[in-house]
Amino acid sequence: MRRIAFVSTAVAVCLTAALAFSVTAARRPASPLADLPSGKVQLMSAGALAFGPEGILFVGDSVGGAVVAIDTGDRKAASAAKINIQGIDEKIAALVGVTPDQILINDVKVNPISKNVYLSVSRGRGPEAMPLILRVDAAGKITTLPLDNAKHSSVSLVDAPKSNPSARQDPRMQTITNMNYVNGNVIVAGLSNEEWSSALRSIPFPFKEAAKGATLQIWHSSHGRFETESPVRTFVPYTISGQPYILAAYTCTPLVKIPVSQLQPGAQVKGVEIADLGAGNQPLDMVPYKKDGHNYILIANTARGVMKLKADNLESYPAIDSPTKTDVAGVPYDTMTNLQNVQHLTQLDDSDALIITGKTAQPAAPAGPINLQTIALP
Amino acid sequence: MKRKFACFAVTLFLGVTVSAQVVSIQFDAGTFKVAGWKPPAAAPSKGWGSVFSVYAGAGDIPPLAGAYNVERDTLIFRPSYPIAPGVRYRAVFRPPWGGAAVEKTFDGPHQDKTPSARVEHIYPSADVLPSNQLRLYIYFSAPMSRGESARYLHVLDETGKDLQGAQAVFLPGEELWDPNYQRLTMTFDPGRIKRGLTSNEKIGPPIAEGKRYALVIDRDWPDAHGASLIEGFRKSFRGGPAVRNPPDPREWRVTSPKAGTLNAVVVDFPTAMNYPLLQRMIQVSGAQGSLTGTTVIDRQETQWRFTPHDSWKTGDYRLVVDTAIEDLAGNHIGQPFDIDTFEHVTEHITTKTISLPFSTR
Repeated sequence: MRRIAFVSTAVAVCLTAALAFSVTAARRPASPLADLPSGKVQLMSAGALAFGPEGILFVGDSVGGAVVAIDTGDRKAASAAKINIQGIDEKIAALVGVTPDQILINDVKVNPISKNVYLSVSRGRGPEAMPLILRVDAAGKITTLPLDNAKHSSVSLVDAPKSNPSARQDPRMQTITNMNYVNGNVIVAGLSNEEWSSALRSIPFPFKEAAKGATLQIWHSSHGRFETESPVRTFVPYTISGQPYILAAYTCTPLVKIPVSQLQPGAQVKGVEIADLGAGNQPLDMVPYKKDGHNYILIANTARGVMKLKADNLESYPAIDSPTKTDVAGVPYDTMTNLQNVQHLTQLDDSDALIITGKTAQPAAPAGPINLQTIALP
Repeated sequence: MKRKFACFAVTLFLGVTVSAQVVSIQFDAGTFKVAGWKPPAAAPSKGWGSVFSVYAGAGDIPPLAGAYNVERDTLIFRPSYPIAPGVRYRAVFRPPWGGAAVEKTFDGPHQDKTPSARVEHIYPSADVLPSNQLRLYIYFSAPMSRGESARYLHVLDETGKDLQGAQAVFLPGEELWDPNYQRLTMTFDPGRIKRGLTSNEKIGPPIAEGKRYALVIDRDWPDAHGASLIEGFRKSFRGGPAVRNPPDPREWRVTSPKAGTLNAVVVDFPTAMNYPLLQRMIQVSGAQGSLTGTTVIDRQETQWRFTPHDSWKTGDYRLVVDTAIEDLAGNHIGQPFDIDTFEHVTEHITTKTISLPFSTR
């Protein structure tokens, strides 16, 4: 007899239950580490990162079409140190023996237990690029996470096409843009290099061979009249009026709230747009936090800098249902003009965040050095 | 005698003579070795790195990651990662008995920067693109470096001005490659395409109807080995009317081949379709299941042809079309890119494929 583990009292658990349709949840072992066999971690690329329980790091492998869970063994609790590393790309390049232009930092996350910083990195810019996972400790020392014999497991996101069983040669690729571990499930957002629409996946962890997770087709009403199926670029679980939601920032700029209760397998879900973050822009990362009794969400963007969204009483904002006269609309925010060229943003602890900054190469101007920096949450 | 003297002089230059021993650093088959001394059997208390380190670069950098071992009175350092072209390695031996450090530099393998890659195709291939064009595909002849499009890919307006910032037509920071890094997918800013969105209302679509543009790819775009392209590339195009109606298979013209031949079954579309999706989203099925054959996409993506490996038999076949197939504007079967809820969008097809029957006689 299988059953869905619904516990409605705790928000987080409620979120899990609604997302997880996961009929495997009932007999989950006490520690997910027990299910992780040792061996060589087969990563074809290392992109989006997320931390799960007990120092387990989820790595999005877009080229391999998989999510890999790796036991970092990094479980010694510590408080966060203010890490600042100028030219982290140069240091990583020296560590792994390439020129700095051959280092691409794909994502950064902090182990919530040890507060050590983890980076997913490409050593090289072409198809032969080597995926690396790096750890930065409180003293700023950078080491590579050994992948030759680590406890790990993985789940495939794609079936190799029958006509072409070699997924490596398949030009269709699902790029994993963002992941979050939400109490028993890895929620994966991505987009494809071919079709427009892209689903949000909910994958129960520990991974089961037969359970690749449920896909959800999410629509958002872009200003009421027109509706669009669109890829989610970054998202966070968030509680509004005591109810669990997902706050998703889309490729096409809107910030949308999606009630978790509507996320059912195969469902076509309609989200409500509560903020328009402006034109010609991609949201990159979101960090929700509390400060001085108020709720905020810090949002890093490609073209519009870092925004501090005032996230109190999100339920009070009506759906944006008509084109706005101003460039932005909905939930108000301030742009943090002191934070420039932010490529990645992640939470360090309750009061601090980490950013990776660096100038993107432009015509006639080389890229600047990449820096890892601790900032106080504004 | 002269040769012996010369060898001695070189040794003095490169090494340190201690107790009649000469320390030398060698680079051989991807490993760095310190010979000419008697290393202890066990690593020093601060690790072998306190005695011998290799640096790939200059400045305040950590030493190269790798492992040490001792073989026949030689300390050997094996880097964890392959030796890379274009890198200068500085090996430093700090004698445990004190005294000056011994340094030697080595260069990684020669970096061949002879251009060998070029732009082969750009899709859509037409020179008129709808103002709500969603994606652009650039095919290179060899693997490329990623993360470079912002620098080397430009869209110019009819005055030759590079469209950047709020006027940029592509989404910033969105480079999607195939696994071989030979096909780049760029997305036009959907916020400017979707009707009703602020960007669409204020700035307008990325491609304005009637206006002329040029897509320019610089020769300097590095391939996967760091070499530039053989030549740059330029595609001129004009903005056409938006395509709002989703593809309707009832409007497709299917031309059946004759039985007993290897002629193609041909599908003509009233408007151009998405090239990569055309390649994989139409299958041909017969009584024995899916057919194998060759697909050709022609006439600026308005024609799809399939030639089977084996001759057609007399009988019934069908084209199995994935409803996710898209036109140039991202509309797919039964579903426009942006659904106008004030219009009647009734044709919601819930199955993932549809069948188009045809017969061979």
